[in-house]
Amino acid sequence: MVMFLMAVCLSMFGLAVTAMAFGAATRDERPVEAAQPALRPALPVSIAPSRFFSDLPTVALPSVAASASRPHVPIDVLLLQIDRHVRLEQAAAESFLDYPTVASLHSRTTSPLVH
Amino acid sequence: MANAEPELLATLTADEAAEVLALGSRIQLASGAQLFSLGASADHLYVVERGRLSLTLPMQVQGREQDVQVEERLPGQTVGWSGLIPPYRFTLKATALLESEVVALTRSALLDHFARHPFVGYAITRNLAAVIGQRLQVFQAMWLREMQRTVERLSE
Repeated sequence: MVMFLMAVCLSMFGLAVTAMAFGAATRDERPVEAAQPALRPALPVSIAPSRFFSDLPTVALPSVAASASRPHVPIDVLLLQIDRHVRLEQAAAESFLDYPTVASLHSRTTSPLVH
Repeated sequence: MANAEPELLATLTADEAAEVLALGSRIQLASGAQLFSLGASADHLYVVERGRLSLTLPMQVQGREQDVQVEERLPGQTVGWSGLIPPYRFTLKATALLESEVVALTRSALLDHFARHPFVGYAITRNLAAVIGQRLQVFQAMWLREMQRTVERLSE
């Protein structure tokens, strides 16, 4: 009987020590968890779009947002368009010099870079 | 001249033109070869004899520097008038679009010749002024057209 009581006491003591240890451990974490929601709004917000973590909060500038939404044009195509634009503009300018009028100076162009 | 009478030598007699061309040396250019670069010291004036030259300016395209053609020069036309006009620096880059040949005239040889033959110097200077003036007027009109479009975009 004495042995049984000894075992029960030791078990109760062990349980109490475990509960205290658990309480101490959880008491340390609680203040941090409570503080985090207050800190979140103060975190710096990235201005440029993130290259690596797309789910991070970002605030895009209008020009950046516009370029991101613009379809990507291959550089060869763009260079051809620039070349065509220059040729069309030169032709228009030479036409104006041949017959200088306001209408010929500001004649419309078919260049894709303008439309 | 193989293909066309050079604009630089207009109004000169055949003998006078031949004397001027004899001052120069012929340069053969393979397709893609560069005749001069932007900002380089300009000591020569060139007359295109054969082929086709591209005059380009650098432009940032998608974050990369690209040569954008602003003019083409054909046989009979003059290239590199910066060789006769201070500060003697090329303001464009010239590249052969296909196998080409030019006559390169040094500034010193031309000025010496002009001193000995003032009428030839006068005629060539007038012809050169026409080349420069034509480019100025074309680019002036091009610039005004771009300005007009910018104004229209801003008013939309």
